[in-house]
Amino acid sequence: MSAGAPLLAARGVAKRFGRNSALDPTDFELQPSEAVALVGPNGAGKSTLLALLAGALEPSAGTVVSREGANIGWSPQRAAQYGRLSPRENLELFARLEGEQQAAEAADRLVREFELPDATAAGDLSVGNRQRLNLAIALLGKPEALLLDEPTAALDPEQRGRLWERLDAQRSAGVALVFVTQQPDEVERHAQRVVALRDGAVTFAGPVAEYDALSLVG
Amino acid sequence: MTKVALLLRKDALILRRSPLLLGLLVAYPLLIALLVGLVAGYANSKPRVALVDEDHLPRIVSVGGHEFNVDKTINRVSKDVKLVRLSRAEAQRELRSGKVVAVLTVPAGFVATLQGMVMSPNLEVQTARGIISSRVDEQVQALVFGLNRQLQTAYINTDLGYVRLIMQGGRGSFLGREFTVLGLGRAERLLRNTPGPQAERLREFIRDARIALAQTGNALRATAHPIELKRVKARGRSWALSADVQAYALGLTISFLALVLAAGSLAAERDENVVGRLARGLVTLGQLVWAKVLLAAVVALALGLGVSLVFGAIIQIGNVTGGEPWGRLPLLAVGLLLAGGALGAVGALLGALAREARTASLVALLVVLPIVFLGLVPQEVVPAAGWISDALPFVHAVRFFSAALFDTSPWSTVAREALWLCGLGALFGVLARIGTRRLLA
Repeated sequence: MSAGAPLLAARGVAKRFGRNSALDPTDFELQPSEAVALVGPNGAGKSTLLALLAGALEPSAGTVVSREGANIGWSPQRAAQYGRLSPRENLELFARLEGEQQAAEAADRLVREFELPDATAAGDLSVGNRQRLNLAIALLGKPEALLLDEPTAALDPEQRGRLWERLDAQRSAGVALVFVTQQPDEVERHAQRVVALRDGAVTFAGPVAEYDALSLVG
Repeated sequence: MTKVALLLRKDALILRRSPLLLGLLVAYPLLIALLVGLVAGYANSKPRVALVDEDHLPRIVSVGGHEFNVDKTINRVSKDVKLVRLSRAEAQRELRSGKVVAVLTVPAGFVATLQGMVMSPNLEVQTARGIISSRVDEQVQALVFGLNRQLQTAYINTDLGYVRLIMQGGRGSFLGREFTVLGLGRAERLLRNTPGPQAERLREFIRDARIALAQTGNALRATAHPIELKRVKARGRSWALSADVQAYALGLTISFLALVLAAGSLAAERDENVVGRLARGLVTLGQLVWAKVLLAAVVALALGLGVSLVFGAIIQIGNVTGGEPWGRLPLLAVGLLLAGGALGAVGALLGALAREARTASLVALLVVLPIVFLGLVPQEVVPAAGWISDALPFVHAVRFFSAALFDTSPWSTVAREALWLCGLGALFGVLARIGTRRLLA
């Protein structure tokens, strides 16, 4: 892939679960440093598209390609971590599985950065702390892009604000962002582009400003 | 450290942090093994048999000059059954309700016929319907055999009394009729002074008859017991420490542990929502299954060696002979690893199919009992059970353990069963790997 090529791209990617189609053939591109919001009602296919982009699901059709050597971080909506391990143990385990050379140091750094309590098992953490740990795991390996599935859904306004501060800091460092959200203000403040889905199909893909205009018209 | 080793270490850490689960996983199969042992030991227990006395047996019965205390005699010969005296109606009611397994009836006239010593008196036995009736028959036959042995001595002594009467002469009685017999001795003395060839032939016959009749005692005893069974006292393992029990206890314990652990821990990856994260190139699904197989193998090794050490210590302390409790431990360790791995692969398949840890554990528990009991059914009794059992790792594990611990030359059995375990482990491992795709849905 050339330097101008997208960081992450889906070509005709589709997903079926048995007889049910979760996502019709879809094209998607993510450029470096860009922020894209995935929006749509429940069951529209947003989480499925994000999981396919992350490689957590195998597509029924089409392909997902990322720039060679690019590391993509993924934070699913429901925390994906071992409940009986502490936040540090979770981070160290996933860091080692990622092939991180300094796994213990990376885990230490993220525990401090995300102010995670380390004497508690992950399963006993508050929802906010579990979501922070979820995001911290996604940041292992210094990713070029972050795929976040409703990262603020279970957070109160203060926690939400602090999470976006961290994400904005990542964006400032050049990390691209794809996030699923149901919050119009998050789209407006943090996204450059919007991809809207309904019933497994893309209904809109374009700049935030145009999406707003269409919404008003619709 | 490889990715499989990282997952294995993680699972071991999680297991260590679940002491209640670990305790249950260890204690439960041992409890089941104990219960199976107790049920198997039922073969040695005393079934309850009703004794219906319609002859109103006296306390003392005299047969052929021997006096028998009825209660003591019955107690002496009824080691394998518990006899309870009941009326005919009570006995029938308890037989129908299963409180007694058989009814033994002493009919009216039994003692009189016995004392007559001409005809054999009858005892009537009625057994419950069902699978243990043949065993009850055997035990009632053993009881009658014991009674007959007690009576044989009296019968032989009575018969020898008649023989003595024929040899020496004197007064006797038979069926209540008194009579006097000349006897061979007196007959010989009477013939001593009688000349002639016919008298000589009679004297010769009397001498031959006396020599022959002198052997009557031994001949009667030999007729009563054509084959005498002598019990030779031998040192060896008791039933509880026998090779089979130890091999089955090991097999049962690790079957429970490996199946439940592998099924539960694989399905738990989905419950924790980490399968998607791992499948993003961190770990292949094959490595995930391999980690669970290894977890089952390692835990089976640790627990199996623990159980073997306890057995070995008991054998050592009790100075019990038979088998090699220590020298074969390395070979046993190989078997435990292979069996744990093969059973772990079955567990991983169950975990992949069930998809949820709680369902997977329940399914594993439901599956493990038939697997174990199929292995306990003798192939000669139900051939189909043997074929099904051959397709599962439990029975091969038991054969491996038994050969490794107790066979003088275990190598052919051990090699054959090791191949079976490897083959079954690979087959179930591949099926589990295919099934693990379900965890991603």
